[in-house]
Amino acid sequence: MASIVLDNVTKQFPGGHKALVDLSVNFDSGSMTFLTGHSGAGKSTFLRLLIGADEPTRGRVLVGGVNISQLSAKRMPWYRRNVGVVFQDHHLLADRSVFENVALPLRIGHFPANEIAPRVRGALSAVDLLDKEKLLPGYLSTGEQQRVGIARAVVNRPKILLADEPTGNLDPALSKTIMDLFSQFREIGTTVIIATHDIELVKDMGQPTLNLVAGSLADPVPTQTRVTEFN
Amino acid sequence: MDNKKTESLDPWAKPSGGFINWLKDHGRTFNDTTLFVSQRLASSLFVWFLVGIALALPGILWLAQENLQAVGDGWQGRAGLTVYFEAGVSPAEIETALKDLKKMPLVEKTALTTSDQALQDFVAQTTDSLELRNIMASLDENPLPASIQITSSEGADFIELEALQRQLRANPQINDVIIEKTWLERLRDITTLLNRLGWIFGLLFGLGAIFVTSASVRLAIESRLEELLVLALVGATRGQMRRPFIYFGACYGVGGGVMAVMFLALILNAIEGPLQALLGSYQVPLVVKGFDAQFLLSVLGIGISLGVVGAWVAVRQRLHRAQFI
Repeated sequence: MASIVLDNVTKQFPGGHKALVDLSVNFDSGSMTFLTGHSGAGKSTFLRLLIGADEPTRGRVLVGGVNISQLSAKRMPWYRRNVGVVFQDHHLLADRSVFENVALPLRIGHFPANEIAPRVRGALSAVDLLDKEKLLPGYLSTGEQQRVGIARAVVNRPKILLADEPTGNLDPALSKTIMDLFSQFREIGTTVIIATHDIELVKDMGQPTLNLVAGSLADPVPTQTRVTEFN
Repeated sequence: MDNKKTESLDPWAKPSGGFINWLKDHGRTFNDTTLFVSQRLASSLFVWFLVGIALALPGILWLAQENLQAVGDGWQGRAGLTVYFEAGVSPAEIETALKDLKKMPLVEKTALTTSDQALQDFVAQTTDSLELRNIMASLDENPLPASIQITSSEGADFIELEALQRQLRANPQINDVIIEKTWLERLRDITTLLNRLGWIFGLLFGLGAIFVTSASVRLAIESRLEELLVLALVGATRGQMRRPFIYFGACYGVGGGVMAVMFLALILNAIEGPLQALLGSYQVPLVVKGFDAQFLLSVLGIGISLGVVGAWVAVRQRLHRAQFI
């Protein structure tokens, strides 16, 4: 599948603020890692680098052995089709039904027409929204919208799954369901990285955690993790 | 949970099946565009109207030029020269000159008017002027010369007619040779002017149509930036993001072309009667030349081209600035 390596990555924004500082970390293929830290610690920048929305000021971001910050604009879409992203603010299309929102990656990725409906319904079933497929996102609660975003992220079974506060609007039981879903993806080889503030949830899952403070790793990475420090 | 894309040495390489997928994308975009435009019919109609006006004016100039060209072509069939003989030239000499003229390749038809016939014609045309008739009657001899009207062969141009004029003038029996070219020259000048105006207005209004579609497509992009961001996130190529807006431009162009054709039909219908009456007074029969299938397709094709160019400009500018895309 896809291992991820950040090799001495620094991201400095115009004005001088450094969101990430000399960060080196290696995520094995099929690992599940939580990314914790206060607001402004660099979690979002970390995820943006991995989806190719930003480039590091220094260092390399290697995914599957390819430095994605050097991918051309033409090649970037082929990479992104393998990355599922869950955003805190959902990014759903207001004028498309829940079904169409979830189907979007499949349509963009030219999946066969007869595969789209089963896959979409499978993903909606996993987030317990099968009965809402015909509704527009505006008719859903924030938590339901979050789950639509999750369904869209996993519907094409990506090699990498990135989630920014995926359970921020969900109750504990539903949060656990979503985490179990992510775990299932890890088990089939998907590399999962989840940014979250929910420390209790992190503890419950028993998966390795990276704690970011001011753009650097704050604590040693737990020994039981499949995440290993680079260098 | 298997992913059907095959692993290659480069895990993020472009997948195969590009052309079929490209066609499918076009089909999907076509459906999306017709839906989008039909949901915003009022604003779409406004754009069609503006593009239609921009296309109609050069169109009407082009049609005017075509019609004048047709008038000129009709007139050219009667173009020719009138040869006036000296007063003392005998009928036998005129007959010989007539035979020589008929042998010339530029000459298609000749019509001899003897000095007696000329006098009769003159008297007939001046029946309402008794004084003039008295003056003519008081003259000892007929002052009007014999003349030959020459109709040039089809396709003869002015340079050839001028050469023939010089050749005939060298004959001492001939007093003067007049080329009947005034109207033709005027028509030719007007046609040239209309042609130039057509190009100038075509260029200006074409640019106008591009700006109109560009501005409209830019608005459409602004209203769908969130969608573009999501599309970029899920791996849409630039072509996939660009395509709906190019289709909008083409749609605006087609609608503008249809509007332009409607405007032209109305204009032609309104001016046909007065134009025929005007030209009829100059004994120029005219069937107003409207537009045929080729003209229709040209207007629609130009409309689509301008719409696509306008959309392309907007998309390039806006997507280039869009973060993330």
